[in-house]
Amino acid sequence: MPRVLILAYGNPLRSDDGVACRAVDQLRQSLPDSEFQCFHQLGPELAEVITHFERVIFLDAAFPTEGMKPGDIRIQPLLANTNATDQSRFSHVVTPQTVVTLASSLYHVDVKADLITVTGQTFDHGDRLSDAVAAALPNLVAKVEQLARTPITNS
Amino acid sequence: MTQESTIVIDPVTRIEGHSKITLHLNDDGRVEEARFHVTQFRGFEKLCEGRPFYEMPSLMARICGICPVSHLIASAKACDSLLAVRIPPTADKLRRIFGLAQVTQSHALSLFHLSSPDLLMGMDADPAKSNIFGVAEKNPELAMDGIKLRQFGQKIIERLGGKRIHPAWIVPGGVSEPLTEANRDAILATIPEALAIAERTLEWFKGTMERFREEISTFGNFPTMFMGIVKKDNGLTFYDGKLRIVDASGHVVADDLDPTQYYDYIGEKVEPWSYLKSSYYKPKGFPDGVYRVGPLARLNVADRCGTPRADQELAEFHELQRTAVLSSFHYHHARLVEILYCIERLEQLLNDPEILSKHVRALARPNAREGVGAAEAPRGTLFHHYKIDDQGLIRWVNLIIATGQNNLAMNRSVLQVAKHYVHGKKLTPGMLNRVEAVIRCYDPCLSCSTHAMGQMALQVELISPEGKVLDTIARH
Repeated sequence: MPRVLILAYGNPLRSDDGVACRAVDQLRQSLPDSEFQCFHQLGPELAEVITHFERVIFLDAAFPTEGMKPGDIRIQPLLANTNATDQSRFSHVVTPQTVVTLASSLYHVDVKADLITVTGQTFDHGDRLSDAVAAALPNLVAKVEQLARTPITNS
Repeated sequence: MTQESTIVIDPVTRIEGHSKITLHLNDDGRVEEARFHVTQFRGFEKLCEGRPFYEMPSLMARICGICPVSHLIASAKACDSLLAVRIPPTADKLRRIFGLAQVTQSHALSLFHLSSPDLLMGMDADPAKSNIFGVAEKNPELAMDGIKLRQFGQKIIERLGGKRIHPAWIVPGGVSEPLTEANRDAILATIPEALAIAERTLEWFKGTMERFREEISTFGNFPTMFMGIVKKDNGLTFYDGKLRIVDASGHVVADDLDPTQYYDYIGEKVEPWSYLKSSYYKPKGFPDGVYRVGPLARLNVADRCGTPRADQELAEFHELQRTAVLSSFHYHHARLVEILYCIERLEQLLNDPEILSKHVRALARPNAREGVGAAEAPRGTLFHHYKIDDQGLIRWVNLIIATGQNNLAMNRSVLQVAKHYVHGKKLTPGMLNRVEAVIRCYDPCLSCSTHAMGQMALQVELISPEGKVLDTIARH
């Protein structure tokens, strides 16, 4: 099994935004060899951190969009993209894409990275998950486990 | 001037929120008014009602992921007041270490990640390149220095608090665990590299200032008062002291003010076009009571830093103007001086002979129904004010956040930039960059001040005297 880092982020006092860190609570049991970090939000210094791992899995909640309803899970591979524009010019927002791209451009390390999101239903103040996201949590955990255990191929 | 356009501030956008700037033209086609609209919703004060007071530091830390420690400190100090305790001296020093580490990493984020693209590539650079990726390409050492400095601060927080963000280590009455010798030594070992980074970044920054003469003269360069907490000897501090206010000439307006009585001299005004309230100095009324907080203000109100290299840099900083240093562009410079001070002060505190003491918490039950905690967050003075019932449950909370205290000044800064750089009825990317850049000088934390989170886009509207939108430029 590759050396895996799971980066969960979100605000646990914003209802479904806390789903990633809740998933980590369960994943620590099933993936004892992986490393876990939970954040309120990502920061650029994570670019250096991820270079020490073979695989990184970012976990987050997502807003409902066209075709994605609350509880839906999506897995997106992340590739370094120096043509990407970084929109975090105002607030404290760093995307997983930014972290992966900085790791490549600054440290010349291309980490196998994926972003797994679960579509949320409510992001109001609160420390509970919505029914839809709570129901999706076991599936989210299963998908992370599967991805973490997948061997990395050089394709 | 009539205005028919309607600004809709929808609470649904409080998470995926956005800010908006409207520029209002007069009959001559010149910018007459500018507004910086914050459209996220503030809510933590209500969220906390009914919670046990001892939960407040942990709850308040979740206001922000960049400066949670500031909220931890201010909240814990408010809880200390509710307990009516004086925390052990070692706990006082450990809280200071925590706060200094946080200021370092927060300032590093602001400068290296958010502002360095402008400083390195200029205000008219291609927006596609004017970002952290452009910095990584043009000056990778600068980008890596920024990451190292962030890590320096965060690792201290992690070593003391158990985790980098929202550590629960600061508690009412002190801190929950003493500092171990191993952690103390590990942190001290990282000081030399951090100092070296701070020094060379300061030199790099001072070398860039000549290129930004026009921006220095137009970026929030106007008279206001400045406020900050200082020590008894008027030295720079982030943890505890008296409030001091100076005017634009550098003369003291008010001194020896008790921060816990903030409501006697700080008022808040609600504007219909923004969720961000505006603070003002009550004796001068609104809006004449405009003042600024944060790094620029702190270096204007402080007479000294109290550490050798930072004192040298402060003396040089004070030479920028014979009055108080007025241009908000100099927030960047002030931030770098503060980083230097923080690292030097960290070393002093870690070498204190009592720093490893096991006595780090005072225990008590509530002995007061009302408590106020004040501290200097990276962006400025922060106040937490709580009232509890006889069960120790929170009944009322008021938070005054640094960014809100800079709201009036930020709006005036946007107006100044717009008047100087907007000509005719067309908005240009360079103008947009400068409007963003002047706000970025203040390093606003809109998540803190409005208690929401989300990605910030920016939309600028140019509005005619008749209220018609002439042009819009946006970043999403």
